[in-house]
Amino acid sequence: MQDRQQLRVLLLVAAPWTVTAWAGARAALTRTVLGPRGTELGEGLADVATTRARLVGAFETERARIERDLHDGAQQRLVALGVSLGLARLDVADGSAPAARLDDAREQLGLALGELRDLVRGLDPRMLTDHGLAAAVTDRTRRCPVPVRADLQLPDRLPPQVATTVYFVLTEALTNIARHSGARSASVSGRTHADQVILEIRDDGRGGADPATGSGLDGLAERVELAGGRFRLSSPAGGPTLLRVELPCG
Amino acid sequence: MRVTVAEDAVLMREGLVALLERFGHTVLAAVGDAPALLGAVRRDRPDLVLTDVRMPAGDSDSGLRAAITLRTEDPALPVLVLSQYVQPVAAEALLDTGGGTGVGYLLKDRVADVTGFAAAAAQVAGGGTVLDPEVVHRLVGRRRDPVARLSPREREVLDLMAQGRSNGEIAEALVLSGAAVGKHVRSVFTKLDLPAETGGHRRVLAVLAWLRSGGPE
Repeated sequence: MQDRQQLRVLLLVAAPWTVTAWAGARAALTRTVLGPRGTELGEGLADVATTRARLVGAFETERARIERDLHDGAQQRLVALGVSLGLARLDVADGSAPAARLDDAREQLGLALGELRDLVRGLDPRMLTDHGLAAAVTDRTRRCPVPVRADLQLPDRLPPQVATTVYFVLTEALTNIARHSGARSASVSGRTHADQVILEIRDDGRGGADPATGSGLDGLAERVELAGGRFRLSSPAGGPTLLRVELPCG
Repeated sequence: MRVTVAEDAVLMREGLVALLERFGHTVLAAVGDAPALLGAVRRDRPDLVLTDVRMPAGDSDSGLRAAITLRTEDPALPVLVLSQYVQPVAAEALLDTGGGTGVGYLLKDRVADVTGFAAAAAQVAGGGTVLDPEVVHRLVGRRRDPVARLSPREREVLDLMAQGRSNGEIAEALVLSGAAVGKHVRSVFTKLDLPAETGGHRRVLAVLAWLRSGGPE
């Protein structure tokens, strides 16, 4: 009871701060847009850029934490479970009912481990940091169950945060295509134009993709926005779907 | 055979011990960090060392570095390393010890296939080389030009050869006749200009050496 009261007090104290912070951010943004000229505008833009960089940094830290937790937690448990099931299977006769049930359980477990691995891979930019964007994208397109034609003409030395965003966008987009589109083929292209990276991801699936329906597209749109980019989607019912992302890299 | 196990996650360690014992092996020691691993192996000289790449205390890859230290001290000591994710660089550092014989690098997930894993452990203990298919895919993937000369079927054969599969196993995996596999294997060797075809373990090492000679892109 006392705890609850304390909590309420804390909330009361905290709430005005939130409003102030929000108002502050609004003011900064407004200043950016309406600022009269010269230095003030420059400072406002720098503020927004710093905030954005901080948010992206926080996103990366969080992603690394989730990846580590999945490795150390769920994955270890599932593998240990697989060992238990595998050993149990060795102790029952082939063709018996328990054997069939155990084989089924092991198959399910194999799928779960595979899905977890894909999820972690999506979170884990190690391939990217170790081998660069081109290799990481090639690696990703090869894993996609839908055949993907990739045509990336991007500079080797993109700023790391831009490279990470490009990788994330392509990974998420391909995961979506594999899961929801029913496509038979897909293509990705990337090039730079006037200090922007332009990515286009197409598929010949059933269309009707909508970020509002809770697919991975909303996270993708958010990520692009965070990087100061633009996200455009054309996905009429019946397809095809085209996703176009523009990211500043200057 | 007599095995020393190092794995920091208790569940996983217990699973590995149960698995090895189920296949008739003796676990000399099951430890949870790199210093304990070094001590146990130097004391017991097992027939096989099975270790996790990542363990607490020290750097994140302390298990891998302990494995490399042990192989440097005793190049004939068979070591099988388990990793949570594929790090080709780590796999290659391990391959560079003891001439690449009696060494293995597998993803942890593979342990769930208990029979396959027991076979891989025995292969490493017997002086073989076992590389996770994921590592092999990466190695094949980064050699662009000469690999591009191979037909899709030949690439599959190359991939399986690098994983240490025999012609018979390749035939089974790809649903081909033994004669057809032999033809593809010869063609791969010719196209890649590999030294005259050898069998068994030397073939694995020749293929891996060729894949690695391309270096990172």
